[in-house]
Amino acid sequence: MSSFKRWCVKQSTALLLILVCLLMMAFLSVETRSFFSVKNVVNILEANSYRLILAVGMMCAIASGAIDLSMGSILSFSAICMAKAMKAEWSVAGSIMLSLALGMLMGAVNGSVIHLTRINAFIITLATSMLYRGLSLIATQGIPITKLPQLFREIGCGDIFGMESGVTMAIVITVLLIPLFYHTKWGSYVMSLGGNPEALKRSGVPIGLYRVSVFVLTGLLSAVAGIIVTARLNSAEANAGLSMEMDAICAVVMGGTAMRGGSGSLLGTVVAVFLMGLIRNGLTIMSVSSYYQQFITGAMMLCAVIIAEMRERRTRIG
Amino acid sequence: MKKIMAFALALVMAMSMAACAKPAEAPVAPVEEAPVAPAEEAPVAPAEEAPAAPAVSATVQKLYDEFDAAMAEQLGAMPESFAELKVGAVVISLTNPFWANMKDCYEAAGAEMGVAIDVQTGTTEGDTASQLDVLMTMADMDYDVIIVSPIDGTNLIPGIVKCNENGVKVINLGPGVDTAALEEAGGHLDAKITVDFAEQGETCANDMIARLPEGGQVAIISGLAGAGQSEGRTAGAKEVLEAAEGFELVAVQNCDWDATLAYDAAKALITEYPELKGVFCCNDTMALAVKEAMAAEGKEGVLIYGVDLTDDARAAISEGTMTGSMSYSSQRYTKAALQMAVMLNEGHVFESFVYLPLTLVHVDNVNDMEGWK
Repeated sequence: MSSFKRWCVKQSTALLLILVCLLMMAFLSVETRSFFSVKNVVNILEANSYRLILAVGMMCAIASGAIDLSMGSILSFSAICMAKAMKAEWSVAGSIMLSLALGMLMGAVNGSVIHLTRINAFIITLATSMLYRGLSLIATQGIPITKLPQLFREIGCGDIFGMESGVTMAIVITVLLIPLFYHTKWGSYVMSLGGNPEALKRSGVPIGLYRVSVFVLTGLLSAVAGIIVTARLNSAEANAGLSMEMDAICAVVMGGTAMRGGSGSLLGTVVAVFLMGLIRNGLTIMSVSSYYQQFITGAMMLCAVIIAEMRERRTRIG
Repeated sequence: MKKIMAFALALVMAMSMAACAKPAEAPVAPVEEAPVAPAEEAPVAPAEEAPAAPAVSATVQKLYDEFDAAMAEQLGAMPESFAELKVGAVVISLTNPFWANMKDCYEAAGAEMGVAIDVQTGTTEGDTASQLDVLMTMADMDYDVIIVSPIDGTNLIPGIVKCNENGVKVINLGPGVDTAALEEAGGHLDAKITVDFAEQGETCANDMIARLPEGGQVAIISGLAGAGQSEGRTAGAKEVLEAAEGFELVAVQNCDWDATLAYDAAKALITEYPELKGVFCCNDTMALAVKEAMAAEGKEGVLIYGVDLTDDARAAISEGTMTGSMSYSSQRYTKAALQMAVMLNEGHVFESFVYLPLTLVHVDNVNDMEGWK
C-alpha cells in the first residue's frame, strides 16, 4: 500500500468530516447570502479559535488515556485572576503571565492528584472543575470584571492578518503540536501512556512526570483560551467557559480519537471543531433555533464514533 | 503513604465543613488566589452606591414615589407590628449580576424591616434540578415564608407542594410558576409578585421603532428557550416589531443567556444583514456582548436594548454604546416581596397577582437616574 493510501485509511474519519463540511458549505452558500463572504469565514474562524485551542488540549489528554473536565473552570478562574490583577494595576504582560502560570498550576494539581491517588481522571477533574469554578464564584461574587485595558484587548483580540489574534494563536498552537505530538519522545510516551502504561512503566519511563505534563499542557491551553474569551467580551465572568470542555470532548471524539486513548488525530479534531462551528454559524444566519443545533451535533457525533469503531474492528480482524 | 493521604483528606473535609458553617469567613484560602488580593476589588457595584439614601435625583425620587403609590394600592399598608418570622428566598443564580444584586437587596430590605432572611440558589443558571434540591431542603427547615424565583415554569413544583404540605407560605417572585401544572400536582401559590415580561419586550420595541422613523432590519437575541422571562420578552418584542410598518424582523436567536454565544451570533447576524438597525436582547449580559461585537466590527449606530439595567449596561448607555435597558427598582421589588411575606404570616390573603411598575432607562434619561437601585 502506498504511503498516501495508508494515510488516507488512517485519517478516514477526518476525511469523511471534511466531506461533510464541504457538503454543508455548499448547502449554506446556496441558502444564505453572506455565507461564502470573506467576512463570514473570518467570523467562523474567530468564533472557534478558543474552541480549537481547548479541543487540541483535550485531544492530548484523551490520547494519554485521561480526560480533563476542568478545562472550562480553569479558563474561568485564570481569566478572573488575570482581570483582577489588571484592575490592581499589574502590567498587562504580568497579568497574562499570572493567568498562564495559574493555568499550568491548576493543571499540575490535577495531574499530581491523579497520579498519586490513581483515581480515574474523570472523577478527579470533575471534582476540581467544581473546585475551580467555586473559586471563580468566590473571587467575583458573581459580578463580572469589565473594562479591561486597551493593550490587553489588543493582545487578546486585536487585528492580525485581518482577523482576531485568537485565530493566529490557535493556528500557531495547533501547528506546534504536530511535531510535538507526532515526532517527539514526549508525544510517543504520552500516546503509550494511553495505550499501554504498564509497558511504559516497566521500561523505566517516569510516567508520573508525563501524566502531569499532559495536564499542565491542558491547563496552559485553557488559560490561553481564557485570555481570548475575556478579551473578546471585555469581561471576565465566573460562568465563562461553562461546559466548553464538553464541546471539546465532542470535537475530539467526532474527529476520530478513541476515548480509550493510545492514539490521537489532530487533523480530525481540527476538522470537527470547524464543522461544529459551521453548524452554529449556519443555523444562526439562517435563524434556526439552537435546539436543532444540539440535535444535529449529537447525530453527527453518533455517526462519527460508530464509523470509527467499525473501522477499528475491521483493521483488528483484517 | 496511605495514612498520610487519609489524614490529608480528612483535613480537607474538616476544612470544607468549617468553611460551610461560617460562610462569612474567607473559605478554604485557595493558594492560587493569594497573589491578586481579592479583598480590594470584590464588590465593584455596591461600593459605588453604598450610601444608598442620600444621592437620589429628582427623577428617581419621582419614580420611587410613583412606585410606592402603585404598590400601596395593590398591597395595602404594611402592618405596624408583626410577629417575628423567618423568610427564605430561592433565586436563580448568583453568577448573574442581576440576581447577585437581588440577593443584596433582599438582605438590605430584611435588615431594614427587621425580618430574618436567607437567600439560596442552585449551582448554575440553567441547573433546574439543583435549584429544586435547595427548595426541598428549605421546605423542611423552620421558614415561615419562602419566596421562589424558578428557573423555568415547572422545575420547583415538587418543592412548592412540599412547602404547602409543611404549612410554609410560598410567594412567587419574578419568573412565573406554571400555575396549571402546579394545581395538577396538588399545590398552590399564596401570592405572586412579578413584572410583565411581555411589557418589557414591548416597551423596548416601541422605543426602537420611535428612534428609527425609516424602519429597517431588526433582530432579537433571546435567552434560554422555555424560560419565562425569555419567552415573555421575546414574544412582546416580536409582536410589536412584526406589526410595525417598514420593519423586518430578520432573526430571533436563542443564546441561552450566554455572553459568548451572543457575541458570536451578533457577528454572524451583522455579516448576513449589514443593514441591521436594531437588536433587542433579553438581558444585559447578552446586550453588552452584542455591543462588544458591534464595536469589534466597527459598526456604529445599531440600537441595542437589554433588560435588567446592570451597572455595566448603565455605563454603556451613558456612553451611548447601548441604547436602553428595562429596569425596575430591585430595592423596592424585594421590599415589596418581604412586606407580602410579613402580611401572609399575619394572615392576610392576596387575591390577585401584584405587578411591578417598569421603567425604560435610555440614552436620554440615563443621566437623571442617579441613585436608582
